[in-house]
Amino acid sequence: MKMVKISWRNLWRNATRTNITITAVALCVAILIIFQALIIGLIEKAVSNTTNLLVGEVQIHANGYLDDRSIYKSLGNIEKVRAFARENNIGIVERSYGFGLISSGKKSAGTQFWGINPEFELNYFDFANNIDEGEFLSETSLNKVVLGKKLARSLAAEIGTELVVFVQGADGSLGNDLFYVSGILKNIADDIDRGAAMILKDDFDILFSTNNIVHEIALNSKGKFEAEEIQKNISSKLKDASVMTWKQLMPFIDSMVDQMSAFMLTMFSLIFTVAASLGVMNTLLMSTYDRMKEFGVIRAIGATPWRIIRQVSMEAILLTTLASIIGVIIGLGISLYLQVYGIDFSGKGNLSFGGVVFDPIWKASVSFKIVLLPVVLMFVTSIVASLYPASIAARIKPVEAIHYKP
Amino acid sequence: MSTVKSNEIVLLQNIKKDYGQGNVVTEALRGVDLKLVKGDFTVMMGPSGSGKSTLLNIIGGLDRATSGKTIINGQDIGILSNKALSLMRLNNIGFVFQNYNLIPVLTAYENAEYVLMLQGINPLQRREKVMSLLQEIGLDGLENRFPRELSGGQQQRVAIARAVASDPQLVLADEITANVDSETAQSLLELMVSLNQNNKTTFLFSTHDPAVIKFAKRVIILKDGNISNEKLSSVEIEESTHK
Ligand SMILES: Nc1ncnc2c1ncn2[C@@H]1O[C@H](COP(=O)(O)OP(=O)(O)OP(=O)(O)O)[C@@H](O)[C@H]1O
Ligand SMILES: [Mg+2]
Repeated sequence: MKMVKISWRNLWRNATRTNITITAVALCVAILIIFQALIIGLIEKAVSNTTNLLVGEVQIHANGYLDDRSIYKSLGNIEKVRAFARENNIGIVERSYGFGLISSGKKSAGTQFWGINPEFELNYFDFANNIDEGEFLSETSLNKVVLGKKLARSLAAEIGTELVVFVQGADGSLGNDLFYVSGILKNIADDIDRGAAMILKDDFDILFSTNNIVHEIALNSKGKFEAEEIQKNISSKLKDASVMTWKQLMPFIDSMVDQMSAFMLTMFSLIFTVAASLGVMNTLLMSTYDRMKEFGVIRAIGATPWRIIRQVSMEAILLTTLASIIGVIIGLGISLYLQVYGIDFSGKGNLSFGGVVFDPIWKASVSFKIVLLPVVLMFVTSIVASLYPASIAARIKPVEAIHYKP
Repeated sequence: MSTVKSNEIVLLQNIKKDYGQGNVVTEALRGVDLKLVKGDFTVMMGPSGSGKSTLLNIIGGLDRATSGKTIINGQDIGILSNKALSLMRLNNIGFVFQNYNLIPVLTAYENAEYVLMLQGINPLQRREKVMSLLQEIGLDGLENRFPRELSGGQQQRVAIARAVASDPQLVLADEITANVDSETAQSLLELMVSLNQNNKTTFLFSTHDPAVIKFAKRVIILKDGNISNEKLSSVEIEESTHK
């Protein structure tokens, strides 16, 4: 198209000026791409830390279980889920829950008992590693219990303390037994800290007079599959159970992540692109003033103001296109490097926030989205910024411009 | 109202133009009446500041008269919107300026083609028209040069090509020989005479150069914003400017 050709040549009339602006815009695009890759990498890490801790990507319960946590609402057809997890190499744990009373002799407290398989929990989830004192359960830890931190404190329990446990069995009988404290967890989450007493699955069945009962299955592919994908697969296999993703189980975290990333990324991108587009505007303003006479001449010979606006804006579009290509190459290159190698903070000691230990290597996460947002925003703001110089050029009065001496 | 004859390209009635406002009003034109018909080759002379450029700008729709009627090709252009005025210029008027005013980023060929492009004529037709025009004008072989690579006379030829490429009804030329030597001026004028004869293009010139007069079919003298001695023959004028 002719207009593109004319604008292209105009762009290079002052090559130094254009090159400086292109460099600035390209840097802005590159920085935004890298910044987004790092922030999204951080968010994804935070989310995976959360899901890896104990929730998993998808959880299965009997319909209605989460509403009243009745011991009778247990899962059937577990074999199908186990087979699915095995075939796809997805981590799977089965948990059973029951309420009861626990007493250290001096003090007692209401407790939620977790019947777990320590080997699987250690394999697929992280919370079992967050032991404050003593040690976590192992397969041979019969009549041993691991307590939440606040629960242990309110019972004045220490490692080895003997606890008396009273529960109502599933058959209506009274279950009671003696347990010994094997470990105390670090602070993990409030309900666990205040009320969790973890025991072996076998102990649970004896205590509650149940037979291999399962209330919850948690699946964790550690990012290999999308949570929704796993959910869809299992839902089609288990019609009469409730299958939920971590986003549905923890809607608060999901929306916080969404809002935080949307807000941060958009605000930051907007500030940067607006700044860069002011550079574009400045360049076009200078070149418009340099070319007043020319615009007057083409107005005189019949070009409409609209045509002049299009021509000046086309210069902004070409400049931004060129800068975006360069910016994307640089930004994507560095982001891909950071996705593979990351930034290593391990030299600066252990990274931990609120007791949760972070991976000391901060890796970027590259996706199509991180390129799209800066490039689209850059184009929009540049075109908007070009309208001011363009309108100056378009409003030129031919007679005055022809006699205009710059 | 006068009836418009079809060969009347320009009809000016009592055109006045004031510049500035308040106490410092310059009356550049003080009631000019003028009629140009198809095929005219008119030269307008007059001392500096007599209003020649002002008159050309008004006829070309680059500026508006303070009062009076400007009828171009049967159309009162005083009542046109700016956009309609742009289109009027695009389709009816060719301009040649003193300082050539070519577009520096376009080659000779592209400059000559520019108006045709604005008119939306397809590239093949444009090419045919412009190539033959450049040949006629004596610029063949130079079509890919940029203005900075051409001499003043060559640039002015390109400007003439640009002005006549779309076969406008009227070509307005404001002191177009002022920046070239007399030999070049002579050849530019011969070029326009031939365009006038071959294509029946109507030309209106302004100039200080008495040498231009011998090419004119008609001469107008502008003085203090008014046309005077319109009936003078070219010989008489030549004599008067040499006094
Ligand atoms: N934009 C303007 N503002 C104010 N006064 C103007 C303007 N343009 C022209 N004039 C005045 O109007 C009068 C006519 O000017 P014009 O340029 O038409 O003269 P000219 O005959 O073309 O002169 P020259 O031969 O020097 O080109 C002059 O007195 C000039 O000073
Ligand atoms: Mg003048």
